[in-house]
Amino acid sequence: MITLGLQEKNTLLTDVNKRSGANVLECYQCGKCVSTCPVSNFMDFPPREIMQMVKLGLKEQVYLANSTWFCLTCSACSGRCPREIEIPAVMEAIRHLALEENYTNKSAKVKAIRKFHDIFLDMIRRYGRSYELRLMVEHNIRTRDLFKDVMLAPTALLKGKIPLLVKPVKSAKAIRRMFKMAEKLEQKHK
Amino acid sequence: MKKITYFPGCSAHGTSKEFDETVKMVMKSLDVQLEEIPDWNCCGATSAHTLSEPLSYALPLRNLVLAEKLDNTTMAIPCASCYQRMKVTKVHLDKNPDLSKDIGTTIVDEGTYQGKIAVKSMLQYCYEDIGLDAIKARVTKSLAGMKLACYYGCLLTRPKAITQFDSPEYPMSMDHIVEALGAKATEFDYKTECCGASFSISNTEVVIRLTGKILEMAKESGAHALVVACPLCQSNLDMRQPQIEKQTGEKYNLPVFYFTQLMALAFGMPEKELMFRKHIVPVEGALAQIGKIEPEPEKVKKPKKAVEAESEAE
Repeated sequence: MITLGLQEKNTLLTDVNKRSGANVLECYQCGKCVSTCPVSNFMDFPPREIMQMVKLGLKEQVYLANSTWFCLTCSACSGRCPREIEIPAVMEAIRHLALEENYTNKSAKVKAIRKFHDIFLDMIRRYGRSYELRLMVEHNIRTRDLFKDVMLAPTALLKGKIPLLVKPVKSAKAIRRMFKMAEKLEQKHK
Repeated sequence: MKKITYFPGCSAHGTSKEFDETVKMVMKSLDVQLEEIPDWNCCGATSAHTLSEPLSYALPLRNLVLAEKLDNTTMAIPCASCYQRMKVTKVHLDKNPDLSKDIGTTIVDEGTYQGKIAVKSMLQYCYEDIGLDAIKARVTKSLAGMKLACYYGCLLTRPKAITQFDSPEYPMSMDHIVEALGAKATEFDYKTECCGASFSISNTEVVIRLTGKILEMAKESGAHALVVACPLCQSNLDMRQPQIEKQTGEKYNLPVFYFTQLMALAFGMPEKELMFRKHIVPVEGALAQIGKIEPEPEKVKKPKKAVEAESEAE
């Protein structure tokens, strides 16, 4: 295959393989992952294409694709992959590498997904536990979609589906220190 | 009496309080004592592993270390996402001493990780450790008449290398449990399709589409209700159901139970303690099916001549 000759200079392939523990070269492009993936039709490039692009070393396109942000890590693809490639691990590795090298997909959808995760982690840093109400409100404010799901709120709050308050962990200091140490480890990766 | 370590997870205090409460009731009646990890923290859920690999291991690691201090051999976790994060961390750290050493530096006061505790989902614990016979023996009010679509979602059985439990394509453990309670499990092809999970807030369109398909297939299977073992699946299928109905124009009317709510019901516990009032889709219709047993379809008697003709042909 055309891709094999390009291996040596392909740093994308080596980086992704190393970080994910998978071997992308094993992929023979059968496309089972695409037909299995519940979100492939929302992706710029479905998993099969991402695999081929990694083989070809198309770093910028791969890092900027929304595909890795849409991946739900449901592992349906890897369960059916005839080459037994851990595709979600590949997706995750690409996302982490892109974050480290400051590649940002600027589409509204990806921004909304990323904001959600930012707010969620910020909450854990602060309380040690998740706080759904704050998460929903803050996400609406920060994505400028103030009235999203407002119709759900009265029933959800009345029925106690979403609690008004959170019970934070007692060892707040330990959690903050953990976040700092994790950041240090991320730096070590780079 | 057996004793196990219990990790309730954040949603147990809110979204899935009915799961937490009924787990506690069911375990008590099965003679299992739950020892909650003191001062546990969030497992990091989808967000931690989306943005940071070290953090995605560090957050569960603190819980694992605290869990090991309790000296039980098994930890059971009701939430599928917490279970998955904890198990992924355990499998990776046990396999890779360098990683374990690195991530170990994020924890200071709690102690060091030894890798001696077994991590199971509550569903797995009920199926493997308690067993169908013990569950059956405890049933005082059979759920016969109820047809249920058991929905597992992604994280309880996949990836197989991590979970080591049931089939990643067509699991049956929950089906067997509800049948032990007297109900009928329907043939349901979407039992492991993803519901859209954490996109519930950030990308609702995806959840509406994926969850809509699951509801449609559950209805088609002839079920009166869905049964789940994951708080996020429950909230997507239940809370978003009216929205989905509006969009598709279909009426599903499928309440979404936690399997432990149904266990408690079949164990004869009072309905009002099972927190059915928290459900968005009303449960009454499905519960009214209990006891209404359909007559077996009558076998059509073949005329004598035809039977004789068949046996001659053989």
